Amino acid sequence: MKEHLLKKDNVKALCIKASEQWETYVPAEVTGADVHFMRLNRNNKDSILEQLNLDYESLVVPPKVILYPQLESLFEFQDENITETVKPPVKKLLFGLRACDVKAILFMDEFFRRSFEDIYYLNKSRDKLLVIIGCKQPLDNCFCTSAKTGPFLETGFDLQLVDIGADYLVEIGSEKGEEFINSYREFFDEASKDNIEIAKIVKRDAEKAVSLKVDFEEAIKKFCEDKVPQQIYETIAERCIYCGGCLYVCPTCTCFNVFDTQSAGSGARYRNWDACVFGGYTREASGHNPRSEKWIRTSRRYEHKMKYDYLTTGMSGCVGCGRCLASCPVNIGISQIIEEVTES
Amino acid sequence: MTDTTDRIVLTTCPYCGCGCGLHLRSDDGMIIGSYPSKNHPVSKGALCVKGWNAYEFVNKADRLKVPLIKTNRAFREVSWDNALDTISRKLLEIKEKYGPDALGFLSSAKATNEENFLMMKLSRAVFNTNNVDHCARLCHASTVVGLASTFGSGAMTNSINEFEEADLFLITGSDTTEQHPLIGSRIINAVNDKSAGLIVVDPRRIELAKYATIYMTQNNGTDVAWINGMMNIIIKEDLYDKGYVEERVENFDELKKVVEEYTPEYVRKITGIPKDLLIQAARLYAKSKKAMIVYSMGITQHTTGVDNVQSLANLAMLTAHVGFASTGVNPLRGQNNVQGACDVGALPNVFSGYQKVTDDAVREKFRKLWKVDVLPSKPGLTVTEIIHRAHEGKLKGLYIMGENPVISDPDSNHVRESLEKLEFLAINEIFPSDTAQYADVILPAASFAEKDGTFTNTERRIQKIRKAIEPVGQAKPDWEILCEIAQRCGYKGMKYNHPSEIMDEIAELTPIYAGINYGRLEPFGLQWPCPSKDHPGTVYLHKGKFTKGKGTFMPCAYIAADELPDDEYDFVLSTGRIYWHWHTGTMTRRTSTLDREVPSGYVEINPADAEKLLVRNGDKVKVLSRRGQIETRAMVTTKVKEGSVFIPFHFSEAAANVLTNPAVDPVAKIPEYKICAVKVEKI
Amino acid sequence: MKNEYIPHPAVIESVQTESFDTKTFKIAFEKKALAESFDYKPGQFVQVSLLGVGEAPISIASCPGRKGFLELTIRAAGKLTRAIHQREPGDKIHLRGPYGNSFPFEEVAGKGLYFIAGGIGLPPLRGLIKSALYGRGNFGKIKILYGAKTPDELCFKEELKTWKQMDNTEVYLTVDEPNQSWQGDVGVVTKLWDKANMTTSDGIAYVCGPPIMIKFVVMNLLKSGFKDENIYITLERYMKCGIGKCGHCNIGEKFVCTDGPVFSYAQLKEFPDKEKTIT
Repeated sequence: MKEHLLKKDNVKALCIKASEQWETYVPAEVTGADVHFMRLNRNNKDSILEQLNLDYESLVVPPKVILYPQLESLFEFQDENITETVKPPVKKLLFGLRACDVKAILFMDEFFRRSFEDIYYLNKSRDKLLVIIGCKQPLDNCFCTSAKTGPFLETGFDLQLVDIGADYLVEIGSEKGEEFINSYREFFDEASKDNIEIAKIVKRDAEKAVSLKVDFEEAIKKFCEDKVPQQIYETIAERCIYCGGCLYVCPTCTCFNVFDTQSAGSGARYRNWDACVFGGYTREASGHNPRSEKWIRTSRRYEHKMKYDYLTTGMSGCVGCGRCLASCPVNIGISQIIEEVTES
Repeated sequence: MTDTTDRIVLTTCPYCGCGCGLHLRSDDGMIIGSYPSKNHPVSKGALCVKGWNAYEFVNKADRLKVPLIKTNRAFREVSWDNALDTISRKLLEIKEKYGPDALGFLSSAKATNEENFLMMKLSRAVFNTNNVDHCARLCHASTVVGLASTFGSGAMTNSINEFEEADLFLITGSDTTEQHPLIGSRIINAVNDKSAGLIVVDPRRIELAKYATIYMTQNNGTDVAWINGMMNIIIKEDLYDKGYVEERVENFDELKKVVEEYTPEYVRKITGIPKDLLIQAARLYAKSKKAMIVYSMGITQHTTGVDNVQSLANLAMLTAHVGFASTGVNPLRGQNNVQGACDVGALPNVFSGYQKVTDDAVREKFRKLWKVDVLPSKPGLTVTEIIHRAHEGKLKGLYIMGENPVISDPDSNHVRESLEKLEFLAINEIFPSDTAQYADVILPAASFAEKDGTFTNTERRIQKIRKAIEPVGQAKPDWEILCEIAQRCGYKGMKYNHPSEIMDEIAELTPIYAGINYGRLEPFGLQWPCPSKDHPGTVYLHKGKFTKGKGTFMPCAYIAADELPDDEYDFVLSTGRIYWHWHTGTMTRRTSTLDREVPSGYVEINPADAEKLLVRNGDKVKVLSRRGQIETRAMVTTKVKEGSVFIPFHFSEAAANVLTNPAVDPVAKIPEYKICAVKVEKI
Repeated sequence: MKNEYIPHPAVIESVQTESFDTKTFKIAFEKKALAESFDYKPGQFVQVSLLGVGEAPISIASCPGRKGFLELTIRAAGKLTRAIHQREPGDKIHLRGPYGNSFPFEEVAGKGLYFIAGGIGLPPLRGLIKSALYGRGNFGKIKILYGAKTPDELCFKEELKTWKQMDNTEVYLTVDEPNQSWQGDVGVVTKLWDKANMTTSDGIAYVCGPPIMIKFVVMNLLKSGFKDENIYITLERYMKCGIGKCGHCNIGEKFVCTDGPVFSYAQLKEFPDKEKTIT
């Protein structure tokens, strides 16, 4: 498919136009300079676009929050009668994702479809357009090149934008992406040979700029062969302060808790993000806990990403985004464990 | 395009004094997430499990949504007008009939600075009484007194990020990883990654003990002894900073005289600490350049709380560990806004900024701005005294904002009796707490997510909370409620359009907050003292000189706790907090993840003691004291010493404070939560 | 797309007390069509809700042959189950399911069936036992070994007597702490081994009970000649969704709610030791 060009000056107008047909999410700065994916709506689209930041270094929470929020109502009830609260499917445009986060979204799509379909997630995710803006400035924590999840992808996206200066080179990754360009033709130009050449250089430079490199494949091998010394887990389990942060921010973590709340016969059932390192995660009503020791829970936490996800899907659950390290108050990150495992 | 709004606001965590920056996400009027702020100086992209789940309690179905009035022992829903009129009328009646001092006002360490300021303004300007106090009385009242007398300022001297550069931590009476996780984590990092030294002195084997260079465990309540012991060694071995002491501190001779008695052997007899450990600790503390003392309830909640705090201050001054980066005496304030509530004067003896009510000039300044004829000049009653007076029948009316004394005050049975004796009790609350059950009028208040305002964290950082959603049901922010009551009492000086106007008034009256306004607080706040509009805020205190000029050594003699074990009640009971829950549990026990992790109360008991009592882990036991008894479950652990038990106070059905001793420090009036005598029986 | 998380309203038709902390609830869906069409296999479970209290997985204790209702035997162990125990006939309850895999049944025609259960472990096997007894002629010997802490805690006391009477069917009972009137064996369920003559080469074993019991029972079964792939164990785990999403019941790359709860010993052997499935 042909490459196109999107002038940076056209981006805001494109988003506004697209938001008439698509529920549009863009990365925007909020108070304190953090960047979050925010939905454009009638009242605030201008103020959000004023804070648009496509060059963000990293998001504290991944874009999974759009498809799988931290708290979600499953249904409401009044005097034993249930009212469903799941919203009907709406097509979504996620504009300005990073490659690693797109890999994670594809991973989550497959998970929520597997065996039983999860309507809450799938209604949000079923019809979406994923637009990558590849990373130019990876952080110290990132290791996407080792995990083969960035800074640019070959497949899995609908559109991929490469920052070549005043413009973005637009690569089309799917029919949906092509249709989108056709629908908003007025915002796109044809890319020249020069544009395409520059884009190649930009991509190559971005790859080189990823400083943290780990032997990801070797690590997966070691995990799958159960060759991870227990000592590594024990050390982590002792230092960990059990905030749950690394799992809450992980773009492929999907575990949740379910709880009811009611008052005078009226209430709701919700689900919310959970974390497998907590003791209560496996504790049964009788008090018996198959993972009562901390190191066992820690081992589960890492094996899930590096072994079991790989065995089930062929893709590791870790996309090398570095968020777990960034959100850990005591400086534990999966990249360090991978380094330890491959060195030992 | 959608109409429903998807918003993110930067706010401050409502739990502990770390004051982490937190983003709340709301969608279509409902809070759906809380995330750490990456650039915030405290959170730096991280939160503890409570902060990560701070979104949940806001939505709970049993949030109070409508004003309630009790008639014939049952609550019925009423209009706001009815409720507010009733409160104003009843409080004025009591003032008329019995005098202003028959009223009491309990302000809230969870509410904003603006709200605490208005509560004390209501009490003083409208009802002409200084009987206003809040739960700082129960936690750091000793700090406020103890550090005021030694340094001139009762606040944490240094800042949270300075922990990252320290050489040594002396941690006593603070289970830091449980109670201030983002400070505890900085200690863990400094010790493990930067070779900082760690001295932990605690009767319980707290988590941090496993990283300690020196871990000393003392007999409960013997802190003055071991601290004096350290000073004895430091003076004897000439390890103290002579220049600093001479230049900056007075009363050294008195200190030297008092601590002379506290030789390592004498200290060992009192505290149980081995001599060589004490000597090692003293040398390590004295010789470390950037040494930080960190303390919390284990030091303050004693009948000798003020002495304990003064002794730590003495130790720090002796070794030139005050007034420099990464040093200092660092009391970790518990609640999200207990520092602020003290700062803005919700205390019986001071106005905002710790300006004394007995000072004529101060009173005149406030009187003029508040446009009243007179302001009360006699220091009022503290929380503990208010409860006693109510029990005696001398205090008739009480207005409580966001506090739960039935669970948080010592000797719960006494508190319950006291509240029943009141002629009138009104309360602002977000949930139907145990205390609310005793109220005549309950007003539904807005949570931290539903209003604007400011909190001041433990490092004196004044920072904004920002409204994310509209208050649920008919709930109103406390500041609006207080203004309504003031107006209905005929006072015209409490009319504000927005909390920022209240902060402007605070700034006008309060030197340490003088440079604060909402514009300057963007995005992450300012640390007081901030005496003028271009002052950048203060990272650490007492640089160059102490707040009161020269520091003063306040030497103390060791005095034993009020109620120690005897033949009948043979265990020491200590109470405290755990990581998963917060104080009286009104918020955390309504948070699914936290409730699941620790669903019910327990008593920590040493294996040797458990064996003697034939108690296994999980068994039901009864714990009895001279005040009352509770049934709970045993948790057999080596965390507590033989002869000691520990009960976290979060669980109302196994309430630790049914057992605790209401004996207080004579000056600070803080209860001795950390020591009382109990016996344990198997059920 | 079906919303798998919405439970269906049902009514408690009757309550039978099994012991001081266990009751059997007979429940029927409100919607007649659903009640008649609801089908399940022995070994499966349903997610049971009391709206406002919570939801938990409970094994179906009834036999699928009888349509129109379900029987759930519930011990009051946690917040939800204690609340269910307060409910009476006529009260509403919500269910969704059935979830999980089931015990091999038709495929083991002609074989001897050996059921070994401890305490609250018998209800998950009951549906299978009854199905087997209804189709008695299809199977070889049927032996039931069942132990509980006290005589009171034995479930289905009357049915146990009936089963004993059936053709080519043996029932062995034991308790840890007998009372005055107890006439039978005393001790753990493995003590019944020789008396029950458990030796076999192609018998099928179904085991359910506390983890420690399962460990010793499996050891004995292997010694008695049972093959790894012929020993079936139903596992219990904390569950929230029942459909392989919430993650709580995961073991390795499997979910107890979708890949189980019934696993053969051959499968369980492959699970990591630290997951404590049979320890």
